[in-house]
Amino acid sequence: MSEVNMPRLSDTMQEGTVARWLKKPGDEIKKGDILAEIETDKATMDLEAYEAGTLQQIMVQEGETVPIGQVVALIGTGAAVPQPAQPAPAKTGADGAGTAPVPAPVERPPAAETSAQSKEPATIESGERGAIKASPLARRMAEEHDIDLSRVQGTGPGGRIVRDDIEDVLEQHGAPPAAPAAAPKPTAPPEPVPIPAAPPGAPPPETEIVKLSRVQMLIARRLTESKQTIPHFYVSSEVDMTDALALRQTLNASAGEDSVKVTVNDLIVKACALALEKFPEVNSTIKDDQLIKYKHINVGIAVDVPSGLVVPVIRDTNSKGVRTIAREAKALIAKARDNKLAPVDLEGGTFSVSNLGMMDASTFIAVINPPQAAILAIASTRKQFVPVDGQPVIRDLMAMTLSADHRILYGATVARFLQEVKRLLQNPYTLLG
Amino acid sequence: MAEITYRQALHDGLREELLRDENVFLLGEEIAVFEGSYKITAGLLKEFGPKRVVDTPIAENGFVGMATGAAMLGLRPIVEIMTINFIVLAMDEIVNHAAKIYAMFGGQCPIPLVIRTPGGGGQQLAATHSQNLEVWFAHVPGLKVVAPSTPADAKGLLRTSVRDNNPVIFLENLALYNTKGEAPTDGYMVPIGQAKVTKEGTDLTVLSYSRMAAVALDVARRMEQENQLSIEVVDLRSLRPLDQETILNSVRKTNRAIVFEEDWRSFGIGAEIAALLQEEAFDDLDAPVKRVASLEVPLPYSKPLELATLTGAKQLVDAIKELAPRRSRHLSVSPTLLP
Repeated sequence: MSEVNMPRLSDTMQEGTVARWLKKPGDEIKKGDILAEIETDKATMDLEAYEAGTLQQIMVQEGETVPIGQVVALIGTGAAVPQPAQPAPAKTGADGAGTAPVPAPVERPPAAETSAQSKEPATIESGERGAIKASPLARRMAEEHDIDLSRVQGTGPGGRIVRDDIEDVLEQHGAPPAAPAAAPKPTAPPEPVPIPAAPPGAPPPETEIVKLSRVQMLIARRLTESKQTIPHFYVSSEVDMTDALALRQTLNASAGEDSVKVTVNDLIVKACALALEKFPEVNSTIKDDQLIKYKHINVGIAVDVPSGLVVPVIRDTNSKGVRTIAREAKALIAKARDNKLAPVDLEGGTFSVSNLGMMDASTFIAVINPPQAAILAIASTRKQFVPVDGQPVIRDLMAMTLSADHRILYGATVARFLQEVKRLLQNPYTLLG
Repeated sequence: MAEITYRQALHDGLREELLRDENVFLLGEEIAVFEGSYKITAGLLKEFGPKRVVDTPIAENGFVGMATGAAMLGLRPIVEIMTINFIVLAMDEIVNHAAKIYAMFGGQCPIPLVIRTPGGGGQQLAATHSQNLEVWFAHVPGLKVVAPSTPADAKGLLRTSVRDNNPVIFLENLALYNTKGEAPTDGYMVPIGQAKVTKEGTDLTVLSYSRMAAVALDVARRMEQENQLSIEVVDLRSLRPLDQETILNSVRKTNRAIVFEEDWRSFGIGAEIAALLQEEAFDDLDAPVKRVASLEVPLPYSKPLELATLTGAKQLVDAIKELAPRRSRHLSVSPTLLP
């Protein structure tokens, strides 16, 4: 019998979520087979089997998050495959409607989720007490608060339930975390926590609760951090895209059937990269009391995916031609949509472009991606009459807004940078140089 | 309060005891004319004369036996054993005589004897001159063992030890002699058997003594600033008797404990404390007790190998990082994922 552990898939990864199991108990496993998809803080990656055998047991269910190193599955010789979740007659008579008698000897049902996530009370199974690993303190706290340990996800070494896990449960149920153990009793006698019951302040029945994915939670946290800690300011401009659109058409018409088509966004990305060469302070970051200018220009492109938003990066954008940029962007977008981006695809961005032009947006302002100093938001291009030599002429005008970090960037710099982007796009042949 | 070195604190403590009680006298190798290998007894021969500050031959069993006899007859000898490594020659006198006589002969004569001796490695003195053997004595009923980590405790515990009517092994450490700290100048005493919480904290407790207690305090302060971990540090100060109450109170509060000791891990102070915690505070433990100690080999002479063998701040930091509760750890956010 060998254990399959949660692997470390990136330098910063501390825990991972099993997004999907591709094998089920009883399946024959060859070395190198993909067992599951793991969602990390950066991307979704494959969990490979390093040993051959039979998938004996799945220890971590889809959607569950566990720290690196925790056993997620067992691969064995296939001798005795345990049947998934065989509910035994409830020994205690508890029916899950209310509080379960706590130290009830139970075995963790394979599909047990943490209490907050369970949609309905799981059946209590009888089994050996030894199946649950918990620290003595966690056991005592569970007893004091009437918590069923079989419903608690252990995050300690080897999946042991520790104080933190009990405190998680108490917090989810609005109970104060246990008083320091030395204190005999909290001032208010702790309410027994009815685990399977709805938490106080439960939403009205017409709502649907969707648990945020790991990536979504990260996005939520980082955007909040960005908007709350970075003093944003905004400069907008309109670009006459008529010539750029014409150039794009020429480029794509002359390209072969198989070659990648250049998009408007690719031209904008290239224009930004060239403008960043002239304005290195826009391609920078602030760290404590230092302005750090990046040597490389790596432009990230915001891509909307079902799970939220990711920003894969095109490295050394300024030294790449528009066709190369188009090819790389297309590949990255495809990977993003298939949830196949690797951490390396997401690392090292120094500036970002977010484009809602294809969605009929008249104005659009974006939130800065820390640690970058600026992001360019692109709205739709519209046909408008503009005066040319006193005569109204129809031109394609595109609105864009740069969001900038006012700690290191100032209005004049940003306006000049934007002017340069505009100049490049209005003289699109400069993008081909 | 004046800031003085650990060495000065010991010197002052000895001098004050010699002045206070004429029954107190010092004996040991090279302590009088040469003023001590580590200069703790500097100037004392000149001040108190050769009857109070006695140079001995290189014969530990002989002069520890002599000191035991002197204690039986009412004197209060303070023996200096040049380093704890040489104490093995006097084991019979300490374990079979000094520790036993009071109990074996109906309490007719107490043995008010202090044996001062430095332990510790890290000075490239190799396997036979770098040991930490205090646990041998902490094991023996009839002895008391103290191990101060600061000048104030060194002075306070030395006073108490000299006035105690039992044989006391007074553990010093070569690497502590030059460390500085504030020490009261009045008649300050530290009771034997009383540990001290040198830093309060909530995430975990580090229990230590002698030089490692000083290292632990430094590490805890640093990690609190850098990692926002709240670490409690308990300086045991006495190994026998052990202050169970302070140890248990701290771990009942933090639920996690590391014992940090310079000696070898097996059968050490950490083993004793881990056993105490599981006996008396089982239901308060949230994780197994960790022991951080030196590698179990005769200490090499080579500097790189010596460094690799001895425990220290790095090993303690690693252990703290492993043991710290999940909810107190700082989740490091990747700066590269862009929303």
